[in-house]
Amino acid sequence: MIRKIISGNEAVALAVKLARVGVTGIYPITPQTTIIEKLAEMKASGEINTEIVRVESEHSAMAATFGAALAGIRSFTATASQGLLYMHEMIWWVAGSRTPVVMVVGTRAVGAPWNIWNEHTDFTSERDSGWLMAFASNPQEALDLTLQAFRISEDERVFLPMMVGMDGFILSHTKTNVIIPDQEDVDEYLPPRRQPYVIDPEDPVGMGNIFPPEEYMKLRQSIDLSIKNSEDVIRELGMEYNKKLNVLGDYSTLNVTYKLDDADYAVVVMGAWAGDTMEAIDKLRERGVKIGMLRIRYLRPWSEKEIRDALKDKKAVLVLDRSISMGRGGPLYVEIKSTISDIVPSIKGVVSGLGGVSVSKSDLLYLFEKFLQGIREDVLWYYPKEVGKIELRTPRDIE
Amino acid sequence: MSLLEYQYFPVTRPGKGAGGKTGSWRVFKPVVNYNKCIGCKACFMFCPESTIIPSDGKVRVDYEYCKGCGVCANVCPVKAIEMVSET
Ligand code: SF4
Ligand code: SF4
Repeated sequence: MIRKIISGNEAVALAVKLARVGVTGIYPITPQTTIIEKLAEMKASGEINTEIVRVESEHSAMAATFGAALAGIRSFTATASQGLLYMHEMIWWVAGSRTPVVMVVGTRAVGAPWNIWNEHTDFTSERDSGWLMAFASNPQEALDLTLQAFRISEDERVFLPMMVGMDGFILSHTKTNVIIPDQEDVDEYLPPRRQPYVIDPEDPVGMGNIFPPEEYMKLRQSIDLSIKNSEDVIRELGMEYNKKLNVLGDYSTLNVTYKLDDADYAVVVMGAWAGDTMEAIDKLRERGVKIGMLRIRYLRPWSEKEIRDALKDKKAVLVLDRSISMGRGGPLYVEIKSTISDIVPSIKGVVSGLGGVSVSKSDLLYLFEKFLQGIREDVLWYYPKEVGKIELRTPRDIE
Repeated sequence: MSLLEYQYFPVTRPGKGAGGKTGSWRVFKPVVNYNKCIGCKACFMFCPESTIIPSDGKVRVDYEYCKGCGVCANVCPVKAIEMVSET
């Protein structure tokens, strides 16, 4: 086990190396590019012997990764934003064929207009595809969750692909202290790949052939059941990870709480701004405000049980979203509301930080104070102080 | 490998898989009149679903997979196949 100052992208590349991935389908897209650059570098220096397949687009990157996975090889790819959207069709093919594959998404805003900065909308918009979806809040977690993703997706109770989200730039390009496990420990944690079926010329099978209505519906239900059942699998394998590999953090639960047990008020977040949220909560705690945080680490499976348990006796809940489901508020807000609306009297949502708008600790503190006084809107679009608010424009004004 | 009960996989084997079964949507089915059939196997050659099975010099239809397209009835030189309504 060694300690290194590395970025989130480097941490992911190291996880891919430690997982002994056989094939990586690669296509560069900001902010994920340095993951594959790092992998290519390691390949060039002989550090890894992963087959790196360079393709012409993200659609092909996922297709190549899928093909390799079907042949029984542990495979990986990474993407972001428009690239993830371009993969969208293949993402469904992988999920619908129940093939274990791992992907990392360096989350980023989706154009038009062109914007390369951080946001979660690309990630959250894949939540109905049938992939398991975890979201890291620091580079260490990006490494840990990527390693766990291989184990979880290859578990016979799951057999589904898994993606790990990580805030573009904020995590992908910022260097911090990361503990890198030893190869022997990872080998012990991650047994050779298992999957439900492989393509094999000796015993040919057809994949993704036409399915009549009844069979199709049964397959969809089986994916739904697998996602629900993966909850216990994730806890069980997380506990094993804690024991064998982990020194920081705790993976025995899907989601993470902070000072929540005795709190009257709760803030729900996902991703990197959980760090600032915790600091803002500490400030409020110093003033005697009983407030805590629930960090969503798994968007799918969505642990209704854990979330209800964590938020059950709260007076009010505020959900921060770095993404927007148009016309309905943030996706997390919508999910949380449907999960706890019968046990929490007041649930409010905030949409902020879109397209890389920087939300600082003092912004969060201001927001939480506003929330404690009672926000009137169900979903508030919050603009940090230095960003002017949206003004109504007619087409004639734009010249 | 022990697979759990809820697990279901989208795999088919080459040939007549469960995925190719016609189910309940066919409207007309071909019925062979054995008094007329001369055993030329034209229907066997043209059936796009390979559901005509030659047997004993004549032909029989595998209705589990027959789609009821009527190609066989059309190609029969002696009009030995009749498309009968199933509804
Ligand atoms: S109706 Fe069509 S599918 Fe059925 S036996 Fe005739 S040719 Fe084949
Ligand atoms: S085409 Fe007509 S005559 Fe020839 S085998 Fe078929 S049913 Fe018999």
